[in-house]
Amino acid sequence: MTTARIEKLDRLIEASVSAREAQTGSLLRQSFRRLKRSPMAVTGAVIVGLFVVVAVLGPVIAPYDPTAQTWGKEVFLNRNIFPGPRAENWFGLDHLGRDMFSRMIVGARQTLLVGVVATLIGFVAGAVIGGVAAAAGTFGGRWGERVEAVIMRAVDVALAIPMLLLALSVAALLGPSLSTVMIAVGVAQIPIFARLLRGSMLAQAHSDYVLAAVSLGVPKGRIVVSHILPNSLGPVIVQATLVLATAIIEAAALSYLGLGNPDPGSPEWGTMLADAQRFLSGAPQLAIYPAVGIIVTALGFTLLGEAMRESLDPRLRRQE
Amino acid sequence: MSTEPEDVTPQGDAVIPAQRVEEPDLPAAGPALLEVEDLKVHFPIRRGVVVERTVGHVRAVDGVSLSVTQGGTYGLVGESGCGKTTFGRAVLRLEEPTAGRVTLGGDDVTALKGERLRRFRSRMQMVFQDPLGSLNPRHNVDMLLAEPLKVHGVGSKEERRRLAVETLDAVGLPKTVLERFPHEFSGGQRQRLGIARALMLRPDLIVCDEPVSALDVSIQAQVMNLLDEIQGEFGLTYLVIAHDLAVVRHLSDRVGVMYLGRLVEEADSETIYEHPRHPYTKALLSAVPQPDPEKEAARERIILKGDLPSPANPPSGCRFRTRCPWAQDVCAEQEPEWREAAPGHKVACHFDL
Amino acid sequence: MALLEVEDLRVAFGNATAVDGVSFSVEEGRIVGLVGESGCGKSVTSLAVMGLLPKGRGGRRAKAPEPVQAAAAEPAPGAVKAAAAAPQAVPAGGGRRSRGGADVSGRAVFDGTDLLALTPAAMRRRRGKDLAMVFQDPLSSLNPVVPIGRQITEVLERHRGLKGAKANQEAASLLDRVGIPDPVRRLKEYPHQLSGGMRQRVLIAIAVACAPRLLIADEPTTALDVTIQAQILELLKDLVEDEGTALLMITHDLGVVAGMCDEVNVLYSGRVVESAPVRELFARPTHPYTVGLLGSIPKLDLPIHEPLTPIRGSIADVIRWKDGCAFAPRCDRVAEACVDGEPPLIGSAHAHRCVRAEEVA
Repeated sequence: MTTARIEKLDRLIEASVSAREAQTGSLLRQSFRRLKRSPMAVTGAVIVGLFVVVAVLGPVIAPYDPTAQTWGKEVFLNRNIFPGPRAENWFGLDHLGRDMFSRMIVGARQTLLVGVVATLIGFVAGAVIGGVAAAAGTFGGRWGERVEAVIMRAVDVALAIPMLLLALSVAALLGPSLSTVMIAVGVAQIPIFARLLRGSMLAQAHSDYVLAAVSLGVPKGRIVVSHILPNSLGPVIVQATLVLATAIIEAAALSYLGLGNPDPGSPEWGTMLADAQRFLSGAPQLAIYPAVGIIVTALGFTLLGEAMRESLDPRLRRQE
Repeated sequence: MSTEPEDVTPQGDAVIPAQRVEEPDLPAAGPALLEVEDLKVHFPIRRGVVVERTVGHVRAVDGVSLSVTQGGTYGLVGESGCGKTTFGRAVLRLEEPTAGRVTLGGDDVTALKGERLRRFRSRMQMVFQDPLGSLNPRHNVDMLLAEPLKVHGVGSKEERRRLAVETLDAVGLPKTVLERFPHEFSGGQRQRLGIARALMLRPDLIVCDEPVSALDVSIQAQVMNLLDEIQGEFGLTYLVIAHDLAVVRHLSDRVGVMYLGRLVEEADSETIYEHPRHPYTKALLSAVPQPDPEKEAARERIILKGDLPSPANPPSGCRFRTRCPWAQDVCAEQEPEWREAAPGHKVACHFDL
Repeated sequence: MALLEVEDLRVAFGNATAVDGVSFSVEEGRIVGLVGESGCGKSVTSLAVMGLLPKGRGGRRAKAPEPVQAAAAEPAPGAVKAAAAAPQAVPAGGGRRSRGGADVSGRAVFDGTDLLALTPAAMRRRRGKDLAMVFQDPLSSLNPVVPIGRQITEVLERHRGLKGAKANQEAASLLDRVGIPDPVRRLKEYPHQLSGGMRQRVLIAIAVACAPRLLIADEPTTALDVTIQAQILELLKDLVEDEGTALLMITHDLGVVAGMCDEVNVLYSGRVVESAPVRELFARPTHPYTVGLLGSIPKLDLPIHEPLTPIRGSIADVIRWKDGCAFAPRCDRVAEACVDGEPPLIGSAHAHRCVRAEEVA
């Protein structure tokens, strides 16, 4: 059938197409666009961003050396009275006469490091375990199913142990140090990541596009790596952001219990909190600063993680 | 039979699997390409928390035999739960058959294992019901279409792309879509992509599982016409699985009606709609709403009682007897024979209705 | 005066228009069809009439925002999805999400009252009593953890004041009325114990529990098999004939329309493009979209393998109604006149929105 070309119609179609195209783009870009409009995500991102900047620049922007002690009539250790906030020391001095503001700034780096490394340990190890279990269960036949069952029961057992207890036992094995805290917290997160990735992969393994890949003759390994895995990682990455918040708190808890880095040269918020408890009645501010720091940072990561979860949620994807 | 994909080397000039059938317009009564003999797929029902034990079987497909002629289209029709989807998947070995034999062009598909099975898959493809769900959301069209060639070692990157463009053209999509992702297309376009992907390896057989049921009416017609067009162009043989009798009739030369894991009737497309012999076929045909008020008013409806019985525990004798308006005592006692009631017209019913 | 008169109904989700000025009426004892493909606004129309759309920011009477027809491609199915959350909230009793709220304007006069002007509380009193709805997916429309008997008696209690044994008795007779065998035993069963067809019957039983004067059925048989579909359609037809209920039938299936409806409204991109008595519409389809739809359907009595005549393009290819006919980009008979501003509704008994109908006919 011949169709008359109508210039005006072409123009109108053009307009409607370009209006529509503003809404397309890869799924990731769409999610990001949604993320930018969420106040939760923006708040979280600002907090996290600030924290990261402080952590990276730490020693450069700190007004004093965090280990330098100011001795004098202001610090009376035996009377539990330390100078509070003032012009030259914004957060006051601690029990050894060190500038609290500088210690908070420099401590941010340790805190971030512990959080990130611990989460990475949990993420990588958990993903490998969960991934192997899911791949074995999906494509390994009868034997694979057994392998999966064994792995997942072990993960269930690990999940049943309280996280702090698990972390404590690891710390007890390795002795107090910063890496102890990282490993302990990281190991405690492994079962969570393993379960999450396995669940996510199994859901994808039953999707039509995986069946399509099988029917096309795509080798099993390639199906797992190029089809199932990339589509399963979304929720795990979101979880990692949330775990980062937990890891920071847990690392602080371990440090507080005396398993953290004993080196006074590299302050860490958890250790600072532990040190401050002796002077809680006389100088509560010493505990408040690191505590607030930990809470706000954890909150920042949680907000960001939750917002990401929402923006990646396929159920909300179409509603624009 | 033409060259098998194993023989195709990535270096040579003959990079495109030369599987096109020499004569695309074979008569309907030509040689059979696909033969299925007494295919059964039973799923175990497992119970128990610690120690699992099998307490029974869902007989999704329970002894189906059929053959599809080279270049022809076999339409398998039935309602949800009749086992038609499982049957289609078992033919392609996407579901493990419990018993029976499937041969494609003389090669025993059911005997293949591992790498040989994977290689063989290039000769049989599938088009899915849900066009979006069957496309990996993170792969763009280029990746989507190149992957089957890549995993079968066909062509260089440029040749794969050229073949992709050629196939896109055949399904009515411009080559500008190569960089786009599945979610950026409309439903009909996505199904075209699904068809293009199935065509990439130039297979002999395509199993279409509800190829249009997820699409809007105006788009269904586009896709049905497309399936018709490419059948001649690529020398394809179809097994079309659908619940919509009008769709199946439009696409197929031969139609089989499935009920509770078994075929109850099989005949040429024309015949089965004009002279249905099995009561279930009659009921199905009478239940299809026709887009014509005059015919609707004049239509004689056979309203079936009740619902589909459980395929884990099918009725004794004739499986349809619990819903059949003409059921007699003999129907509960004896299983009806799968007999040729007229030349080329098979039916599983004790009576000549 | 018809039982339900919908006039210039507009529904927008944010800046995406789902319904763009729909008008139709339903007379007592008649079956009226709203036909169209996904995203044409048929389901949103019914939800708006039932007051089941989540409220938008602009409030109910807000001036409809500039219609962005271009957005209809993606947002329209999305919008329907957003709206689909509402029916699920019905048995659970409210608690709708604020996301994707709808701005509704126009009038939906039911027996002299504008339903769109009623307060949510007043609307709740009428819903289930004067007007009731049957949804496409019977499983998600029923509360999975409450026995079906309780779900029926709940309605009887609220609108008819029946209690205890009396309510149970009435519930059983309703189940019997919709053709469920052994109704007394079924009362104690949960939705998952019933088949799809049975669940749809239960839903219909709930809908007709208070003898509503208007029943809205939104794709009531789409999720069902043909043989079960035939049972349900027969049941709906009987109900209309016996009780004199008006039925608004929302469907994409022209076959269902041909067998069920007295009058038909064909929707495209949020507007009625053709409306006529059923025989008239099928005998003399006038709008190219209706013609195209009819040509797209494979029929059981057409020669096999004869190519169908589909409509080209997809519902994404639209222009705004205020610029011209939204169907113009897909229309084979398109001409300059088609993009010369809003096409008016022509005719009354058999109305259509094609400015070129006379020339091309």
